[in-house]
Amino acid sequence: MRIVVAECTVDYQGRLTAHLPRARRLIMVKADGCVAVHADGGAYKPLNWMNAPNLLEEGDGTWVVTNPKGERLVITLHDVIHDSTFELGLDPGLQKDGVEANLQQLLADRPWVLEDGLTLIRREYPTDIGPVDLLCADPHGGTVAIEVKRRGEIDGVEQLARYLERLSLDPRLRPVRGIFAAQQITPQARTLAAARGIAAVEVDYEGLQEVDSGELRLF
Amino acid sequence: MRIRAERDDLADVFTRANRAVGTRTALPVLQGLLCEVRGSTLRVTGTDLEMTVRTQTEVEVTEEGRAVVSGKLLADAVRKLPPGAVTIGTTDSDVEIIGNGPRFTLRQLSLEDFPVLEETPVTGTEVDGDALVEAIGQVAVAASNDAARPILTGVLFEPGDDGLRMVATDSYRLAVRDLPGVGVAGSGLVPARGLRELGRTVGAAKVSVAVESREAVFASERGSLRLRLIEGTFPKYRSLLPESYPNEVVVEREALLEALDRVSLVAEDHIPVRLVLTEGGVEVAVSRQDVGGETEHIPGEFNGTDERVQVAFNPRYLADGVGAVAADQVRIRVIDGLKPSVIDGVDTPGFLYLLMPVRV
Repeated sequence: MRIVVAECTVDYQGRLTAHLPRARRLIMVKADGCVAVHADGGAYKPLNWMNAPNLLEEGDGTWVVTNPKGERLVITLHDVIHDSTFELGLDPGLQKDGVEANLQQLLADRPWVLEDGLTLIRREYPTDIGPVDLLCADPHGGTVAIEVKRRGEIDGVEQLARYLERLSLDPRLRPVRGIFAAQQITPQARTLAAARGIAAVEVDYEGLQEVDSGELRLF
Repeated sequence: MRIRAERDDLADVFTRANRAVGTRTALPVLQGLLCEVRGSTLRVTGTDLEMTVRTQTEVEVTEEGRAVVSGKLLADAVRKLPPGAVTIGTTDSDVEIIGNGPRFTLRQLSLEDFPVLEETPVTGTEVDGDALVEAIGQVAVAASNDAARPILTGVLFEPGDDGLRMVATDSYRLAVRDLPGVGVAGSGLVPARGLRELGRTVGAAKVSVAVESREAVFASERGSLRLRLIEGTFPKYRSLLPESYPNEVVVEREALLEALDRVSLVAEDHIPVRLVLTEGGVEVAVSRQDVGGETEHIPGEFNGTDERVQVAFNPRYLADGVGAVAADQVRIRVIDGLKPSVIDGVDTPGFLYLLMPVRV
C-alpha cells in the first residue's frame, strides 16, 4: 500500500471529463493496482479513482493512470508532503457477525432457548419449495419448523406458513408446528403469526452467545 | 531465460510448487510461480507467505534468467502438452512454452513485486520421510479449520521423552503422535494446512526437519517446504490425558471403520453415534427422527467395571480417530459418557486420540 499526501490537481477523461482543482489530498495506490484520490471528508468514497487492471506511469511531477477501457487519470503533483509504502500482507477478509447465518447457527446449537425440550433434527431441512432454517423435535413427538430472521416481518411469517403446509404433508413429521424467531418482530408480523397459529419468539443475539451450547469440550 | 526439459519433469516441479499458491490472495503476484534458471538448474518457488514450496530440476539451459508466471496456468499448460521435450523461454513481457506442436504465450507477472523470501539454509534432523508423512496424517485430522482460533489450526512440534512429539487439537479431540529417535531441537506450532502438503510437495525417502524460531523447514532432494509458525500458546494438553480407564473394548479396526461408514449414511455431524460396550464387543447405533437409523454389533473383547457402558460421539470425529490408528486392532477406552475417551492401537505405542463424547 503506497500512501501519498500531496498538493495536486486531478484530471479524468473517460465516461465523462472531470477536474479536481489544486488542493491537498490523499492518494492511495493499493497492491492490486487500484489508485484512489481522497479528500479529508466524504467518508469512504474517493473523489476519483481507477480500478485495476490499469497502468500507472510516474513522470516528473505527473502520474498518468490508464486502463484498457481507454480511461485516463492524470494526477499532477505540485508538492509531495508524504510518500510511504507499507506491506500489509494478506487480508483475512471481513467477518460479519450477527447476520442470519450466525443467528441460525446459535439457535441450532441451543434450540431449547426457543422452547423447553426442543432438539435439533436438521438445519436447512429441504422442502419442495425451499429449505426451512431449522427442523426440531419436541419432547411430545411433534415436529417444530423454525424460521430465523434478523428482523421479523410479515413476509417471513408467510414463508414459514408455506413451509408448514408442505411439511405437514409428510406423515413421518406430523404434527408440525412453527416458531418464527427473530431479533426483532414487527407488531404486524406478530399478529399474522398468531392468526396462523405460529409462535413468535424474539431472541437476544448477544445473550445467545453466552448460553452454553451443552457441547462437551476438552478445554 | 530459456530452457529445455522433459514435459513430465517440468510438470512435476511446477505442480508441486503451485500447491503453495493461494487461489484467493490480495497480492496478484502471489498467484505466480517464480522460475529461476542458474547453471543447469531450474528452481521454482510458490508461496502464499505462510507456506513456501521450492522445487528444482536439472534442465538444458540456453539462457539464465528469472520470471514470474501464473502458477495455475503454467502447471496446467505444461501438463497438457504432448509427451516429450518442452522449451520455455521469456520474451519482453511473456513466457513462451513450446512442446511438440502447441505453443502457449503467457503474460509475465511483475518480478519486482514477488516477495523476497527466507533462503537461509537450515540444518535439520534427517527422518524417514514416509514415517513422517504418516505421523503428520495421524495428528493433523485433529487440527481445527476454524481461522478464528488460529492456535488450534496448528500441529505442535516439541521434543518428547524419546524423540519428536506432535500434537493437534480442535478442542473436541486431541491427537498425540511420538516419533521415537527423532531429535528435533526446537518447538513450535506448525500450520496443519501446510503440513498436509508435505507428502505432495517434498515428500521423499529422507526428509530433513528443522523447527526454527519463526518457521518450520522440511527439505528433501525434491525441494523444500517452509511453513511460518503460528504465534500463540498451545493448550496444556498433558493434564487432559486421563491416567486410567475402567472400561475398554478391543475390536478389529476395519470392522469398526466399515460400521462407521454405514452409520454415516444416516448420521450427520450433529447426530451422534452411540456405542454400547458390553460383553462380546460393541453395539453401534444411530437414529434420526426424520430419516431412520442403523444398528449393528461388532465382536470384540470387553473388559470393564460395568456390565454395560454407553457413550456417544460425533461420527466423523470417531471415524477420523479410528482411521488414524495404524494397527489391525483398535482399542477404545472409556471412563463414562461425559469424560474423554481414548482410541489407540493394540501393541502400537506412540499414537493416541482423545475424543470428547457428545451428551445424549
